[in-house]
Amino acid sequence: MKPYKIKNIAGHLATIFLANPLTPILAFAIILLGYVSLEMMPREEDPQIQVSGGSVMVSIPGATPKEIENVIIKPLERRIREIKGVQHVYGTAMNNAGILNIQYYIGEDRESSNLKLYDKVMQHLDKLPKGTLPPLVKPFDIDIDIPILTVAFYKNSEKKLDNVKLYKTIREIQQDINALDNVSKTTLKGVKKPQFNVFIDLQKLSAYHISLGEVAKAIRSISSNAPEIDTTSATGQLTVFGIKNAIEDIDDLKNLIVAQYLGSPIYLKSLANIEYSYDVQNFQSVLLTYQKKDTQSTKVKFVEAGDQITLTVSKLKGTNAVDIAQSALDELAKNAAVFKEQGVGYIITRNYGDRANEAVNELVHHLVITIFIIAAILIPFLGWRESLVVTIAVPMILALTLFIAYQTGQTINRITLFAFLLSLGLIVDDAIIVIENIHRRMHLPESQGLSFSEIIVQATDEIGPSTNVATIAIMLTMIPMAFVGGMMGQFMTPIPLNVPVALAVSLFVAYVFAPYLAKKLIKFDEPSTEKKDSEHKKGSA
Amino acid sequence: MESFVYNIISKARNKWIVTLIVIFSMLGAILMIPSKLVLAKMLPGKSANTFTIYIDTATNASIQETKKVTTCVQNYMMHEKEVLNMGINLGQGAPLDYAGLVKGSAFKNMKNQAEIVINLTDKHEREEPSYLMVHRIRPEIQAECGEIVPHTSIRFTEMPSGPPTLATIVIELFGKDDRLLRNTITRVADILNETEGLVDVDIMQDDLYTKYNLVPDKEKIIRAGLSVDQVNQITYLAFKGTAVAVKNTRDQQDQIPIFLRLSDETRMLARSSTDALRAKLSSLRLINREGLMIPLSEVISVEGIRSSPSIFRKNLKNYVAVTAECDMVSQVYPLLEARETMIEKLADEFNVTKVTGINTYMFDLNLVDKQTGAQMLLRWDGEMKVSLDTFRDLGGAFIAALVLMFLLIVVYYKSFALSGIVLIGSFLSIIGVIIGHWITDKIQLIVLETNFFLTATSLIGFISLMGISARSSLLLIDFTKSLIEEGMEKKRAIAVATATRAKPIMLTAVAIILGSLLLATDPIFGGLGVALIFGSMAATLVSLFFIPILMDNTNAMMPSDYKHPLSESKGYVIKAKGKGRKHWCVLVDNVKDSFRNKEEK
Repeated sequence: MKPYKIKNIAGHLATIFLANPLTPILAFAIILLGYVSLEMMPREEDPQIQVSGGSVMVSIPGATPKEIENVIIKPLERRIREIKGVQHVYGTAMNNAGILNIQYYIGEDRESSNLKLYDKVMQHLDKLPKGTLPPLVKPFDIDIDIPILTVAFYKNSEKKLDNVKLYKTIREIQQDINALDNVSKTTLKGVKKPQFNVFIDLQKLSAYHISLGEVAKAIRSISSNAPEIDTTSATGQLTVFGIKNAIEDIDDLKNLIVAQYLGSPIYLKSLANIEYSYDVQNFQSVLLTYQKKDTQSTKVKFVEAGDQITLTVSKLKGTNAVDIAQSALDELAKNAAVFKEQGVGYIITRNYGDRANEAVNELVHHLVITIFIIAAILIPFLGWRESLVVTIAVPMILALTLFIAYQTGQTINRITLFAFLLSLGLIVDDAIIVIENIHRRMHLPESQGLSFSEIIVQATDEIGPSTNVATIAIMLTMIPMAFVGGMMGQFMTPIPLNVPVALAVSLFVAYVFAPYLAKKLIKFDEPSTEKKDSEHKKGSA
Repeated sequence: MESFVYNIISKARNKWIVTLIVIFSMLGAILMIPSKLVLAKMLPGKSANTFTIYIDTATNASIQETKKVTTCVQNYMMHEKEVLNMGINLGQGAPLDYAGLVKGSAFKNMKNQAEIVINLTDKHEREEPSYLMVHRIRPEIQAECGEIVPHTSIRFTEMPSGPPTLATIVIELFGKDDRLLRNTITRVADILNETEGLVDVDIMQDDLYTKYNLVPDKEKIIRAGLSVDQVNQITYLAFKGTAVAVKNTRDQQDQIPIFLRLSDETRMLARSSTDALRAKLSSLRLINREGLMIPLSEVISVEGIRSSPSIFRKNLKNYVAVTAECDMVSQVYPLLEARETMIEKLADEFNVTKVTGINTYMFDLNLVDKQTGAQMLLRWDGEMKVSLDTFRDLGGAFIAALVLMFLLIVVYYKSFALSGIVLIGSFLSIIGVIIGHWITDKIQLIVLETNFFLTATSLIGFISLMGISARSSLLLIDFTKSLIEEGMEKKRAIAVATATRAKPIMLTAVAIILGSLLLATDPIFGGLGVALIFGSMAATLVSLFFIPILMDNTNAMMPSDYKHPLSESKGYVIKAKGKGRKHWCVLVDNVKDSFRNKEEK
């Protein structure tokens, strides 16, 4: 019989790795890298969508919508249109103010988009009409703007706690949480800020013959702050003195003399009701209602907790939502004693970290189940040893793909894992085809007299060309998907990024490890002494 | 298996039967889409642990009125035992999420706006999916709480399963005449309200209401020794209030403002009317340069006027918009229905013409006022537009994939005919994709009582199927070619190759089917899973029974030095038992065949 000549890269790869002692070490390394990547990669629920845009707000007090439209919106939107990459400009002309919302095409670079917008507005600052307040340019930032964690703090009914005290406590917690690693922005919603409220009685005002303007002037005149003054004494020593703020507490305000009426002073307290409370002019508030867990009765019982403060926590781009949410929750748990003492209760109203973790774990679970189902179904067709080869090959392919994804800065999210699930059906094919061909060749009469290694190499080599072309064909069908535009395109990006990689890796694994595993795992009755050798090694593999 | 395939390709009649079956299933499958047996949608709903209720009351509503509505909704929701907690955001948007990002949640800062975030128990322990719950409570809440304050709109926003859009259906009306826009959009909104399947119809514009203008009498102001500026400031200070000074603190992160305003008892008007306002202003006095107190009502007059609503513009043109959501149905069919009604109903005032040309704005209508000749453009936007864009892009990706694959195979085989065979084989998997969706839809209707839609992910599934079925065809062609090169007769070689390759082809198909089973249960990627499962079934059948016919009919299979043979058909004439039966019977036979082989070994 003439010696077999290897024609394809498949055969060459199989030959190199079939007898190489480093092959199992490489296999272990790959699995290990994959596992480390799975643990290390930042987890998110949904992939990041690059949304760029922003809003410009210009206000002219007292202007009607029609005026705003003509003097603000129209000239400004023409300017904005000059920016490349702007998809839509939405203008709203309201009473007193005009707002432009600018939406860039999905996928436009955010930093440069923000810069271009700011630049354009600033360039035309001089063209704005008189009486205009400085324009506000606010870019929106999906990573920073969408909080991953929201916590509702409410007042527990047992302790007397007012809105201002609640705010003071939460403000401190906010500072601590903001100091945690990778936390980008924290905000408080529904806060009631402390404030001295002076409610003037209109009747008394007229009775004392005082105007509102006078009261305002009187308060303003005593509430100024001055910096400390330092001077040197005759002996050259430094003397520092400062003027104390005239309003230290509520009594200072109450006893403020507003005017003289018939020779006697009129105090602010006799004109007005003065209190140290929260900002009453702020109509925004957040309320909380929660279900009270009651193990005894099945009746649904809700507690209306009234005003709450919602703390929102956002993360930096590309960081692990799971870790950040957890560390924030740990920080809250540390303060449990403080909360209890002050009568503050809290409820986690959103935890994307948890959801990301759950989604990722569920999908990893699905992946594992699917691998086992496929392995089980292969047993009656190929035999359990052959099926075992495929079962070992699949995690290796996934591990290597995951490692590549990690190295290219991707995050692990639902879509990445769906890309894996999708590729699962495709990547087993290469290994199945190789193993099936080895299996078939073993029983062919032509293989008589050949060693098992020779059969393996020949079988791998035989299906090499068509498998290569077929796999490249599948990779080619996936690649155009990367060019799908819009939100949907961005959302789906992990598929065209990862599936072709997984396929390329699956070819490599099918040619390198599948033959090796076949040699170690599959029983082959041949007259040579190699068999005992392979039987011996099987335990370790 | 071998004899079966041989039997098909050796008789012209059998070839025709198989070809006709393929053509008919292809036509039948494609016809399922226009005949609405299979419904198309971009992304289906998914069960989530949270949803948000957006509430907008009349533009001039007070925060107290808005609170009445939120309290009503809150009281309703307190009967739901699956609700864990509710965060009621008054006068502002809830903490931003993906949906809120595009729905303008961050810009809400008016007294008539509120958002309620409802957190539900974990979806794994809850029987009712969130979208069914929304479906159930929506009409009840809207009926109960929608009438408390006039012009209230209560909308339900679920977590989008994919990228978010402003609304499922957005109709933008562009035109120059504000009044005409306002009247027409109301009519459009009415049509949407009447369309079955559409809910949460909301016109994005301010309501008209009466407001009051204080007109300063310049002459009187000057003669009284006052200034207009003083009048403005004092009026603002009295009724709205302002922080006149601040106090720094040592132990807090904010300065403490000193806020000045009239007390509530003396500030509030008896009712909202010109007289009440004038009466209040008469007791507010200003001090002039001489130190005399002058009642405000002396120097100003009060008049009631219509409010000036905000003007909305998009891309440099004035427009108004109306949004609507679809209640558990695909947006395509209500959209087409509403569009037909609009063409019909708006014809009394306008000349309605359809926009010509094929693009993703293909549903747009041009409206020309019959009396004034004013032009308007009625544009369909929202999820439909995004879907069309996505389908267009995916279609482009699909064609690109076809071309790339074709070229690759041409390079590999150096034959256009063989490339064509592979492509045809790949393309035919669409039969399975569409029929699979139809079957799944029927199953899901029975089990979950919801429709299963043909989505963008189904299309992705189809694209990846192209490659998968190409692989089967390639393996077949390759093997046949090598058998022919070894000297086997063509038909026999085809039959032998098909029989030998049947096992790995079916194994890989089984792997894909099983691998996609769990995918098929996912709300977003269900379409992909179903496409892969049924598509690879179809692809397997096509490559095992139809590709051999195509291979037999081309000469490109033969080696280049091949001369046309004396055609001989050997007498393997077993009655073709599967020819008239349905496909799945054939599949069963195949499986039996492969098991029989195993036993023989």
